[in-house]
Amino acid sequence: MYYLGVDLGSLSCDAVLLDHDGQIMAASVVPTGARNREAIARATQAVLDMARISEAEIKVTVSTGYGRDRVDGRLAAVTEITCHARGAQALLPGTQVLIDIGGQDSKAIRLDGEGRVLEFAMNDKCAAGTGRFLEAMARALQVDIEELCELDQGAAKNLILSSMCTVFAESEVVSLIADGVEVNEIVAGLNRAIASRIAALVKRVAPDVSGLKVAMSGGVAHNHGVVRALSSALDTEISVPLQPDTVGALGAALVARERVLP
Amino acid sequence: MKQYFDDAVSILEARLRDNYTARGKYNLELTRLGQRLYSASHRVALCGVCAPFDLLNAMGINSCFVEFLGGFLAAAGSAGPFLEEAEQIGFSAESCGFHRTAIGAAAKGMLPVPDVVIATSSPCTGGVAAVEHLAHTFGCPLYVLAIPPDDSEKNVHYLADQLRSMVDFVAAHTGVTLDEDRLRDAMHKTNEAREAAIEVYDLAQRVPSPVKGIDLRAFGLVMPLFFGTETAVEILHAYRDEFAARLEQGIGGVPGERFRLMWLQELIQFKHPLIKMLERDYQAAIVIEELNNIYWDPIDVDDPYVGLARRAIAFPFNGSVDRRLKQIQKLVQAYKIDGAINPCHWGCRQGTGARGLIGQALKELDIPVINLEVDCADSRNFSEGQLRTRLEAFMEVLGSRPGRRSTN
Repeated sequence: MYYLGVDLGSLSCDAVLLDHDGQIMAASVVPTGARNREAIARATQAVLDMARISEAEIKVTVSTGYGRDRVDGRLAAVTEITCHARGAQALLPGTQVLIDIGGQDSKAIRLDGEGRVLEFAMNDKCAAGTGRFLEAMARALQVDIEELCELDQGAAKNLILSSMCTVFAESEVVSLIADGVEVNEIVAGLNRAIASRIAALVKRVAPDVSGLKVAMSGGVAHNHGVVRALSSALDTEISVPLQPDTVGALGAALVARERVLP
Repeated sequence: MKQYFDDAVSILEARLRDNYTARGKYNLELTRLGQRLYSASHRVALCGVCAPFDLLNAMGINSCFVEFLGGFLAAAGSAGPFLEEAEQIGFSAESCGFHRTAIGAAAKGMLPVPDVVIATSSPCTGGVAAVEHLAHTFGCPLYVLAIPPDDSEKNVHYLADQLRSMVDFVAAHTGVTLDEDRLRDAMHKTNEAREAAIEVYDLAQRVPSPVKGIDLRAFGLVMPLFFGTETAVEILHAYRDEFAARLEQGIGGVPGERFRLMWLQELIQFKHPLIKMLERDYQAAIVIEELNNIYWDPIDVDDPYVGLARRAIAFPFNGSVDRRLKQIQKLVQAYKIDGAINPCHWGCRQGTGARGLIGQALKELDIPVINLEVDCADSRNFSEGQLRTRLEAFMEVLGSRPGRRSTN
């Protein structure tokens, strides 16, 4: 019997399949797009194909993410805060502070070191500094989102961006390009701006992170530049699991397994 | 608006005849107040939150605070055009939605026309400016009650003198004088209502609590509109009897109550599914709103102005935030609270400014708090999914605390 976790986010739909012993059998990430149910079906089918099992062999499904209530056949819908905490504990045991930056929101989660959430804080009002923000900035810079990850290398000017509103920051980036500012300086400035905002969120749940085990999950954790800037802003090392974007789905699969095992 | 209230009163009266409930009685009396405010045949005062409504009731002046009207329009789902109107005449969309709604409604001719307006410096200076703006809009006289921050004897007498002067001001502009016997009677009624409210709140503290949903929504803030009248006593007795009956029958407000929550500041006024979601999915009851409390001593009927001044000064949002924190901590213990929800009403400097200290005060008692970003009167900025995720995650955190059955 298998356990399925589905994380329907604003940018990607992720699925993780666990076997009876809780081992990861397969993980998938597909774009969410406009049709949520199609994305769920594609992500689910992908893990079934990878594990070479049929849907009937899934014993329990738990969903998470902003679209958690749209996953049919779920036993439960659990928030991404709880699921990311569970997933991080499984991949990086002993995590005490988890930073999750997803497509449209960012979270700082204080854990007890055993996967239990003690406190959390989320971005307020707008999606500045999230995956959507980075997508818009990549568009303004005319680079791929993947390219953005390393484009800060060699920057030395400590450029400060004055706006974090996605619309205003995009105009600011366009102006900087027009002024002939090097792309790596702009990207480093963007990363610092995101890091500063997220560090403030982290300090709401952990005023002093020194000595705490800090980890990062969510799609933005693939961006090494942001991770480096965040590490510098918090003055601490940040661990990132191999597949940071499937941490939430893994957490959901773990909750699914816990629900039925004694 | 008059026709709306006339129709609503008829409907609520019929409904109450079929099924008498305390909330039904309260809603009917609020609607009757609206009917009088919009009748054009009653004397009307638009006021700040901390105005002495018992004094005005004793004078036969129909009155309410402007945030009440803003909240009423938001609850009716009608605030949108008024908010836009206020923004079009220059009010920032980041300012208080209650004030914007009232100002926009006044500009569109949808507010009752007052004979006088009475601003109160507490709970917020934004409120003073909003009331002053209404005085200009309606071209009517303004009286400002400056409520001191602490209850030193000098301050109490300073405010008591202002209250006397306010009565003279109202009399001068309405032609209605305050009869001494009516004043005594009103103060007796206020004290009677105070005793009944204490009984209601004592019952609400029981485990499980008889309170459900919006039973006591904005109760502590709005009930003072009826102080000094028999209506206040009747409403409170209805609640007392209903809660006592529920407890006697072993009926909790939220079946299978698992979590007891405190709601800070004011509730979200427009329609939303979050409270029902908390009750249905987590068996979480909002057993106390921060202002549902009697924080003042009985009024001395022989020296009412001093007692009324002490009451206004004791308002939890007045003066140092320390007063508010002490009350919150006291209520947390009295109501055996598991967690607190702080909506941090946008544009409210008093509310959001105290956020850090409130969090700290609750932490001292090991009570988790969730801060929400919302304008309680402006549904245009309401993101249900975002707030739902925060509340659900908060309930998961509460459910996973030691000694709790996990909700995950």
